[in-house]
Amino acid sequence: MTTRADFAAATDELANRVLGALRGAGGTALVARHIDSAPDTLAALAAVRVLGADTFSPHLLAGTPFHADDAAAVARSLDAFPTPAAGPSARPEERTVAWRDWATAQLLARFGENGAPPAAAEPPGAADDLADTTDWQGWSVRMAQLATLATPGLDGPVHETARRAALPLARGVTRSVLRRDFPTAVRLVRWLAWLGHEGVDLPLDPAPVHEHVRLLGGASPRTALDLAVTDHLLTARPPEAVRT
Amino acid sequence: MTVPEPVAAAARSMADRALSWLHANRALGALPPGTTEELADPDSVYKPLGETTLAASLLLRDGVAGPGQLAAAQSLMDFTWDQFRQGDMLYERQLRHTLMTDPLEVYAPFVRCGYRHADLDRLLAHRARLRSVDGVELLPNRRLAAANAARVVGLDREPGGGPDWDALARATWLGARPEPWAINWITAYAMTHTVFHLTDWGRLPHGMPPDLTAYVRTWLPVWIDIWREVQQWDLVVELLIVGASLDEPYCRPEDWEAVAALQHEDGLVPRDGDPVDDDPRERFTDHQHTVVVTAVAGSVALARAAGR
Repeated sequence: MTTRADFAAATDELANRVLGALRGAGGTALVARHIDSAPDTLAALAAVRVLGADTFSPHLLAGTPFHADDAAAVARSLDAFPTPAAGPSARPEERTVAWRDWATAQLLARFGENGAPPAAAEPPGAADDLADTTDWQGWSVRMAQLATLATPGLDGPVHETARRAALPLARGVTRSVLRRDFPTAVRLVRWLAWLGHEGVDLPLDPAPVHEHVRLLGGASPRTALDLAVTDHLLTARPPEAVRT
Repeated sequence: MTVPEPVAAAARSMADRALSWLHANRALGALPPGTTEELADPDSVYKPLGETTLAASLLLRDGVAGPGQLAAAQSLMDFTWDQFRQGDMLYERQLRHTLMTDPLEVYAPFVRCGYRHADLDRLLAHRARLRSVDGVELLPNRRLAAANAARVVGLDREPGGGPDWDALARATWLGARPEPWAINWITAYAMTHTVFHLTDWGRLPHGMPPDLTAYVRTWLPVWIDIWREVQQWDLVVELLIVGASLDEPYCRPEDWEAVAALQHEDGLVPRDGDPVDDDPRERFTDHQHTVVVTAVAGSVALARAAGR
């Protein structure tokens, strides 16, 4: 039986592989290898689903080739679990997962040979429940859960919302640092860096807080991956320079 | 945006009950018999008496409390003025300690309400002309406290004019518009006092440079949120005063109603989330400051709601 710890271990393992590839450590067909070498295939597939769009980051950010075997592996992970309901009656958590799947499917459709399963490629409705940032505390926590979407080359309703929400995001960063919730802070700084990369004026300089949460944010592979993506966003050239 | 009606309602309740508590418990804040200008521990009774005076003076200044509350505020002022021997004690302390700012700061709220001590006025005018006084190395937010007290007393109308408020503001933590995520508890208190003194407790909403006002408006919601979460009520109430003192007030009904709901029937507002002691003296010592700032918050918000 697959336990919660098995899922966490598999996610860390994949995050480390992605991180290694992002840093230029070889890594051809890293997703396929992750699944083939896993002691627990279900957990390995779930890890792909969790990291989602970030499994493409070595390709998107560092220009490493995206292997056909990886496309097949990502497609398999989307098939392995049902896409959650995303209609008006769906719970926020279900919508969050649906948006992450949407992001994965977008990139798979672009870089995979056979595209993505149609169910995941549909946008999970308008981002209506994300458009209202009045409750910036709860809203920013949800945006932190959607941090894999803060990736060059992805654009959609969630990104449109983010572009109009630099202040709620900056407040979310400030709040999570002061609450010492560093994993959330790391993910929200990633959004801020994404906004900066898009040329949006920011109420908060992302570079010092990025370094601060790097020093305090703990050493989990997923956090390290978020930090690495943020590094790229803060230092990358303007968006047109990113190969898509 | 002005002050929303639910905030005004909460503010009235907060100010009225806080003032009632301060008045009812005033004897617990009396100086020990035989107290002279030499204070072994100025923070124990002397400073709280000054804080009570401040709260009462702002209620009288703003004039937005009911007639009964205004009478209680006047009675409190009379009480604290008597405690300081109608100003003699402040005079003796300032005479003995030229460079100290606390006699001036304690005196200022009395002057606001028409209480004067002729010898102290003359001494303060003399003192204000000394380069030595100006050169004392105070923390920037403390320097603002002394500058605002001098302004209230009227010392800034001396030849040579008042201080360079912008330069004083720039020297503080707030003046640097620092990373808002690197604030801590004690720095938050320093920040609130920078705002209090620049705006003279809400009387001069334009007293803050516009960029600092914009900075505070941007981050105040976060600071109120995180210190509400850890139940640092004393600091939360100070942050509410900050919001009510801004050029365009930031007063969120939910924050004000949360504090109003915390207030005990007798007017006490707990300083934090710890249990409140039953002993009257302990209660006074522990929570007097929070009740003072609650009275101030209520008065400032009501004054802003009334367009003053």
